[in-house]
Amino acid sequence: MNTYYAVNLLVYAGVDIIACLALNLQFGVSGIVNFSFIVFQAVGAYAAAVLSMPPDTANGGFQHYIGGYELPFPIPWLGGAIAGGLLAIPVGFVVLRKLRSDYQAIALLVLSVIANAVITNADKFLGGAAGIALVPPPLSDRIDPNTESYQYLYVGITAVCVVIALVVANRIVNSPYGRSLRAMRERELAATAIGKNPVQLKMTIFIVGGLIAGLSGGILVGFIQVWAPSVWLYPETIILFAAIIVGGRGNNIGAILGALLVPVGFEEITRFLNNSPSIANLGPPGLIPALQWVAIGLLIIGFLWFRPEGVRPESRRVFEGAPVREDR
Amino acid sequence: MLAATELAPAAERPMLVASDIHRHFEGLHAVDGTSIDVPAGKITGLIGPNGAGKSTLLAVLAGTLPATSGTIVFDGEDVTSSPAYKRARHGLVRTFQLPSEFARLTVLENLLVAAPKNRGDTLLGALRGRSYWIEDERRLVQQARALLKRFGMSAKESEYAGTMSGGQKRLIEIMRALMLGPRLLLLDEPMSGVHPKIVLEIQHYLEDLRAEGLTILMVEHELHMVERLCDTVVVMAQGKVIGSGTMSSLRRQREIVDAYLVG
Amino acid sequence: MDLFVAAFGFGLVSMSVIAIAAVGFTMQFGITNMINLAYGEVMISSAYVAYYLNRAGFTIWFGMVAGALFGAVFSFLLNRILYAPFLRKGTSHLGMVIVSLAVSLMIANLLLPIVGYFPVSYQEDPGRLIRWGSIALTRDQFIIIGIAVVLMLAIHALLTYTRLGKAMRATAANPTLARNCGIPTQRVIDAVWLITGALCGLAGVVAALDSDSFAIANGATFLITVLAAAVLGGAGQPYGAMIGAVLIGMITELSAAAWSPQYKEVVAFGILVLVMVLRPQGLLAKRGALAAAG
Repeated sequence: MNTYYAVNLLVYAGVDIIACLALNLQFGVSGIVNFSFIVFQAVGAYAAAVLSMPPDTANGGFQHYIGGYELPFPIPWLGGAIAGGLLAIPVGFVVLRKLRSDYQAIALLVLSVIANAVITNADKFLGGAAGIALVPPPLSDRIDPNTESYQYLYVGITAVCVVIALVVANRIVNSPYGRSLRAMRERELAATAIGKNPVQLKMTIFIVGGLIAGLSGGILVGFIQVWAPSVWLYPETIILFAAIIVGGRGNNIGAILGALLVPVGFEEITRFLNNSPSIANLGPPGLIPALQWVAIGLLIIGFLWFRPEGVRPESRRVFEGAPVREDR
Repeated sequence: MLAATELAPAAERPMLVASDIHRHFEGLHAVDGTSIDVPAGKITGLIGPNGAGKSTLLAVLAGTLPATSGTIVFDGEDVTSSPAYKRARHGLVRTFQLPSEFARLTVLENLLVAAPKNRGDTLLGALRGRSYWIEDERRLVQQARALLKRFGMSAKESEYAGTMSGGQKRLIEIMRALMLGPRLLLLDEPMSGVHPKIVLEIQHYLEDLRAEGLTILMVEHELHMVERLCDTVVVMAQGKVIGSGTMSSLRRQREIVDAYLVG
Repeated sequence: MDLFVAAFGFGLVSMSVIAIAAVGFTMQFGITNMINLAYGEVMISSAYVAYYLNRAGFTIWFGMVAGALFGAVFSFLLNRILYAPFLRKGTSHLGMVIVSLAVSLMIANLLLPIVGYFPVSYQEDPGRLIRWGSIALTRDQFIIIGIAVVLMLAIHALLTYTRLGKAMRATAANPTLARNCGIPTQRVIDAVWLITGALCGLAGVVAALDSDSFAIANGATFLITVLAAAVLGGAGQPYGAMIGAVLIGMITELSAAAWSPQYKEVVAFGILVLVMVLRPQGLLAKRGALAAAG
């Protein structure tokens, strides 16, 4: 296993884990079906990109985007996180206040499709369909990004972000606040009747999720150094939902497991298949990627049917000093 | 026909005064100009035929349904425009006619989640970590366990509430409401769908709670239950209050008997 | 000015296409309580069925009938094999939305290797242009408008005058009560999936015919336009969907004339957002987006 391969795998795994932890807070813990989750990752990536890049007149002006501030690390990543959080405010304001939960889901799905179409068509705004290229890797002014040590540094910083996201997610999930979120997920009206303000709870967790999703976008764009509408089409969100459903809704460890099994797993399978020409050239062009999407769909439906609680179900909280259960 | 206010005991200020409440659904007048006083420290029954608007009125009082018009004064404070969650925090707490437990929370958690004043029940509090809120949590666990013991459900504390029986879910809901430290409890048919043995239990618990000074307004179908439990009774029909008083005094009123008690 | 008059003509065609699709979608939701996010993909599948028949030498009018039949059978089976079992299992509304989105993804990707990425179009002579002032529409476009008008009247007649239509409305209002009143709700729901599936399939063919070319990716854009019209009118309300289709069809075409045709879906989305902020229950709904999902 060469370094490039290992680093690539680890950074993708880190980004997917962070994204899944954020989506688990929204969907698994709070019951918000955020079908536009990938948009929050994308806005974080775009924000981190334009914060770290020079103005678009540099490099001969072959691409067009707004901003270009050449800010040093870690400002672009923080900016990415903040962009994700800021986007959550107007979106949440429209979607989360009055609408019934299934309408929230479709409104967010539509938002995801439309946001992608708008960015694709707006050439001058964020590079349009071609996207943005030559995003400088963080700290590249000080360390040569082409060295092996830089690659491991990137994995290290990503790992720190994973730990931060996990600590945040764990503290929320295991706290009385997390309990309120779960109560709202279970029965919103009853939660209201015991003094919870569901709109405030949802808005807050939507923003927290947006912040973390934005951070994941910042990490990813610093690594792959390009960003375009084709990498954040709405089915990308469905992969993350598949991860949460497979891993176990409401369980952070489940979210991590799901991230490793589904998005990372499928990424690896793709690469494996592309490396074996006999399989990659099977059938009409696009057959293998298309079948992977079918597999994602089957995975969601299969788990919802046979094991809706996932591989690692949400844990039942037993408090210290609890009487021993009769059936044990 | 006497208005509810004229029959209310003059001595004490009522816990809740609702005046001229209307609630319309697309032309249907579910609650149609109802006024009701809930005397403090007593159990008030709310009875009437199906579709009389009792549950709707209860929901309007709790704020889970907004009133089309009218005013609601709770313990001297006008709460007409405050949302349901604020009314609950102020001590005006309702339960539901259909089971409304948080299924994937344990029985103990169902109680804990209702407790106000937990430092860990805000985002920032939660982010500060366990040591910041664990004292509050321990205190509330004790409080919740005391309730569980009193309601005979200690052994079930770590079970998921969704796996409990209908009667146990009722008890959970009442305990959950009590965790808020209510001044007025609005119960929507607390005995419906409950095993007769537990009906008696619930009756005793409610009597105990009254003895401790809690005010209760309950919608109930079973008339002998109302007779045994309620100090005053309000009768509704077609969205209006058609009478109130003690059960025995109501039995003497011709139109009420005609409208409901016999039919 | 002439540009807008011409756009008005296109708006008439657009609203006809959208109306057929949106009425089917909204009836599915109103009566079976199922937000079927695979609707757009069933539309595009039906469009391809007509495409292959068309390539084999059949006329597009035959293709429309075949597309409608395909849509009906496909939707019926989708419900019988997948949605109904999940609903019986007690899956929440939200769970069903996720299931239907997964289905949508699967249909699109099962179709993709068969039909490919590239846009295709029907081999059909659209007929001579018929002019009326600045409005110039082809014979085919007039036929589309005609089909929509006839279908809307048929839906109205179905819901108002037939036993099945009354049973549908009763099932929509309260399935348990309807069943207790002796309405065979299971058969009613089967009928709903067949009828709305036929509308969905037909709408797919008509929408494909109305655009110069179509591709697999149109499934998502169809869905968004249909959602916008249905939500605008008040989800679950057939007459609301008709009004929604009229408004969305006309506004998107006029905005395309004034601004850019690239942004048709964006305009539809803008309307959707406005509705969700200002009147979430939609224009006509009695019970709409605001009602608690039971």
